[in-house]
Amino acid sequence: MLGSKMTTLRAFTCDDLFKFNNINLDPLTETYGIPFYLQYLAHWPEYFIVAEAPGGELMGYIMGKAEGSVAREEWHGHVTALSVAPEFRRLGLAAKLMELLEEISERKGGFFVDLFVRVSNQVAVNMYKQLGYSVYRTVIEYYSASNGEPDEDAYDMRKALSRDTEKKSIIPLPHPVRPEDIE
Amino acid sequence: MAARGHVQDPNDRRLRPIYDYLDNGNNKMAIQQADKLLKKHKDLHCAKVLKAIGLQRTGKQDEAFALAQEVATLEPTDDNSLQALTILYREMHRPELVTKLYEAAVRKVPSSEEYHSHLFMAYARVGEYKKMQQAGMTLYKIVPKNPYYFWSVMSLVMQAISAQDKKLSQTMFLPLAERMVEKMVKEEKIEAEAEVQLYYMILERLGKYVEALEVVRGQLGEKLTSELQSRENKCMSLYKQLERWPECNALSCKLLLKNPDDWQFYMSYFDSLFHLIDQGWEPPSEGEHCSEGEVRSSVAQAIAFVEERLAVEEAKETRPLRGPFLARLELIRRLRARGCPEEQELGEPLELMFQYFIKFGDKPCCISDLKIYLDLLTTDHHVQFINRLMETVPLSEPQDDGVALPGDTRALQRHLCVAQLSRALGLHHALDTTGKLDLIRQLKSHYRHGLQFGKSCLKTELQFSDMYCLLASHVYIDLWAETGDETMLWQCLGLLEEGLSHSSSNAQFKLLLILLFCRMGAFEPVVDLYSSLDAKHVQHDTIGFLLTRYAESLGQFAAASQSCNFSLRFFHSNQKDTSEYIIQAYKYGAFEKIPEFIAFRSRLNRSLHFAQVRTERMLLDLFLEADLSSSLEDNVKSMGLCPEEDDIPWTDMRDNRDLTVLTSWDPADRQLSEEQRSFSLQEELLWLKVRFLTLRLVGTLAVLSHPPTPRNAEKAAENGVVAKPDILRPLLDQLNTTLQNGAQFLERGVQYPFLGPSPTRLAHALASGSCHCQVLAFQLAAYVQELDAAALEETTEVQTQISNSFKSLLIQLKEILNKCKGDLLEVKEGQCKTQPTLLENLVFFVETVCVVHWVSCFCAGVLRPLKASLQKRKKKKKEPISATMVVFSGFQEFTAGLQSLFSEVLDHIKGQETSLTALKLGELTLEEVMPAGEEAFVKLAMDKLRSSYLRSLQELGDLLKKRADVLKSLKI
Repeated sequence: MLGSKMTTLRAFTCDDLFKFNNINLDPLTETYGIPFYLQYLAHWPEYFIVAEAPGGELMGYIMGKAEGSVAREEWHGHVTALSVAPEFRRLGLAAKLMELLEEISERKGGFFVDLFVRVSNQVAVNMYKQLGYSVYRTVIEYYSASNGEPDEDAYDMRKALSRDTEKKSIIPLPHPVRPEDIE
Repeated sequence: MAARGHVQDPNDRRLRPIYDYLDNGNNKMAIQQADKLLKKHKDLHCAKVLKAIGLQRTGKQDEAFALAQEVATLEPTDDNSLQALTILYREMHRPELVTKLYEAAVRKVPSSEEYHSHLFMAYARVGEYKKMQQAGMTLYKIVPKNPYYFWSVMSLVMQAISAQDKKLSQTMFLPLAERMVEKMVKEEKIEAEAEVQLYYMILERLGKYVEALEVVRGQLGEKLTSELQSRENKCMSLYKQLERWPECNALSCKLLLKNPDDWQFYMSYFDSLFHLIDQGWEPPSEGEHCSEGEVRSSVAQAIAFVEERLAVEEAKETRPLRGPFLARLELIRRLRARGCPEEQELGEPLELMFQYFIKFGDKPCCISDLKIYLDLLTTDHHVQFINRLMETVPLSEPQDDGVALPGDTRALQRHLCVAQLSRALGLHHALDTTGKLDLIRQLKSHYRHGLQFGKSCLKTELQFSDMYCLLASHVYIDLWAETGDETMLWQCLGLLEEGLSHSSSNAQFKLLLILLFCRMGAFEPVVDLYSSLDAKHVQHDTIGFLLTRYAESLGQFAAASQSCNFSLRFFHSNQKDTSEYIIQAYKYGAFEKIPEFIAFRSRLNRSLHFAQVRTERMLLDLFLEADLSSSLEDNVKSMGLCPEEDDIPWTDMRDNRDLTVLTSWDPADRQLSEEQRSFSLQEELLWLKVRFLTLRLVGTLAVLSHPPTPRNAEKAAENGVVAKPDILRPLLDQLNTTLQNGAQFLERGVQYPFLGPSPTRLAHALASGSCHCQVLAFQLAAYVQELDAAALEETTEVQTQISNSFKSLLIQLKEILNKCKGDLLEVKEGQCKTQPTLLENLVFFVETVCVVHWVSCFCAGVLRPLKASLQKRKKKKKEPISATMVVFSGFQEFTAGLQSLFSEVLDHIKGQETSLTALKLGELTLEEVMPAGEEAFVKLAMDKLRSSYLRSLQELGDLLKKRADVLKSLKI
């Protein structure tokens, strides 16, 4: 299934913020404040990639960063947001975008790639598992709910990169952690 | 905040509690603590600044500023004070003061890397590029670090970008920047990728593509590693610039061999191919074709190349890539456009699209892939094409209702795709009314049947069959547009409500419901629908128009005001936010992002929606408050409205609306065209101009209003008081011209697709007569102003004009009111009928009444002292007055006339409220026109509509009552 996305992959630019409604009107896709996007564009422009369909519509995008201490072998790529418009789902586009983010992280000498996902978002959790990610730890009440519903836990999922030859970075933690305990 | 982790300094220890209070938002305690500290340590400047921050955050701007300046004039050089002042100035939106601060600091401590670097950033915040260039070099001289040097280079590039004189950019700034980089290259001091990026940027802007290519392909280019395919992408763009089609061709093929799915490279391959053919390019007799390798420059080679890619896909065990299949269609289109007979070698488009459907028809994107190539089919093949596709869709035997249904989601998706393609080919539009109704019946049947596949869907997921529901809604709208039968809209609303009940996250359902409710005059349901879309931040700019277009025009002023506020808050934070990230981009060396961020900031500042919400927000405030809870003058003053000033960037407005946010599968000729887009913008600008001029005219009334002490024309003349420059008349002239332009625009009869932009209020405003009535009111104000300025004896003519204006105003208001009469919602023979125009006219009436009210107050303000002085003169001199002041009696008759208009409109509103409440929607029998299951949803929609009408009426009635009360006491 990989790769049937048929797309133009390119760097995300500010102008794309005016065109991404078909992706961001999805209930699980957060629209962040302008500073958030600009911060990523200023600091990690290479990690912000958008896919465009032949008709010009935006299909989906990935937004990420590199962070962590090299000395402690925690230098890694992080997936901040990944979203595909409903119309362009089931094409393997998310997988392709993840592959790109992993490749960039490899080049930067990261030890692993990680991401947070709602425990309830089974579709996403399964997809990440298929892509080689495993649950490293559970973060309690990571997602704060707005409308009186309880806060939701997150899985912190990881995939080791080639630099972590012994795959030490992905050994699951025995206990869940609280949001304030993660970096 | 500052000073964390430096515990050794005792001052830090003393200041710490204040920082903590400020961080926790406890500003009062911060101020107290600072005062306490200052008692003991008078010269602890930072405490003063922190106190100022506390004051600023509690709304005491003036005090805060004075305190900050006390410290600033001392030109502090301690970190704490400097950083605190920086924070304060930023919060005060005075970033230019930060530059002064650090200019002083570096004067005192010329060797400080830190202060120089702060100075550079302070300049960056305000865009002082020349000073940045110098500051960067100074820094580099103090500490020879590469980034500082390149900050300076980038500042030259920014001078080039921002220069008015483009020649200066090309002959001075950019060449200087280039030389600065070259120097580092020669000295082999280039270290970072960002530095090469910047070099590339400079060469590209200079048009030195050959040199840029050398850099990218050379040793320096090896540093371009962060972005994937960075070198290839840059080479490709340069080849295109240089028209090096052989290289472009060879590189495209190379990249396609690596990834046969990357669409952009098919496009560049085909582009290069035809350029080479047109040039008659021949490969060299020996050696490489070009520096990028093999060139495929004939049609035959291109066909072979695409077919090879296809063969690879066909042979695959796994699912094939879509790229090569679509590339074949693209190549056919391009060959056909050039009249190349070889196109036939690739196959028959109908057949190829059929095969495409067989391969990818179960993907939701199949429709967007194929719709681009539908024009390759001849019209007489459309039905045949659809029939062939349909034959391949596995469906059950027809059910009782004659509809054959799919057995799983893949079959469903295929069937849905055929339905979408039929619509895109115009086959839905070609059906007659019966045909359309039958189509709707089938689509609904598919929709409801398909719900069974999504029983386990989470509420954040869409139902597999949702798009049937949307398609059926579109056909309902077609029917309504064709026949004017409102039942179609009601059923459409019902169907979408039903859809939403099964798929509560479907944004398309919500968007279409918003549009329909608005068109039917009901804004109340829109509030919840829009808020459930969770639109935020930049979306306020792109889809905020969905809210702001109708809130006010449908009489929901409170909601309108709130909608404008959402958007305004976003726009106002933009300026500050973007500046911070421009600085970050310098820090991280993301040089190419700096011009991008600046363009982005400007795109938001010049947003059409921004200018609209700013204007409407002020008008709304005035409608709701001015001369009610507070005087017009106070209102105008507090919103900082300056009627002389036109600060809207009319000539360079950006239309950031997302006008295709509603999904449409309509045929290409029914989609929103570029021409319609530009008409829509024109119309929006015209209406905005009308509103903005109205606002400025109202503002003028406030400016012209008299100070409380009585003063009359004679006195003014004696004292030699200079009259204020007359802005009322020029603005009124502009308003008249704009209204004329508006009328001319409307004569064109521009229509937009239903799912595209809505028309503005312009047409209704002109038809209701409210614009002209408002013009008349302002005209009256101008006459009264004239009366005020002239000697009484010479005013006979203007007095007549005033008296006539009073009379015509009443007549015109009455005419608008007559256009509001009638039932908003009535039930006849089991059918609901709405007349939203009546509501819109009522809103125009109310808005006009507000303007008339302000003008009346202005008139009273002028006439009152005039009358008083006249009476005094009469008593004193005991002489008969030459001019009989007809205006006084005219004014009294006018206000009396207004009062009776008020009772009339309030009676009308009361009557509407009573009849709406009495409507027994529950007892309405709709079975004759629709199946029982749908009835409940339609009634739900009807109830929402009624409730919304009632709310609008109540808001309008309340406002009118308040105005009527105030007017009662308006005497001269």
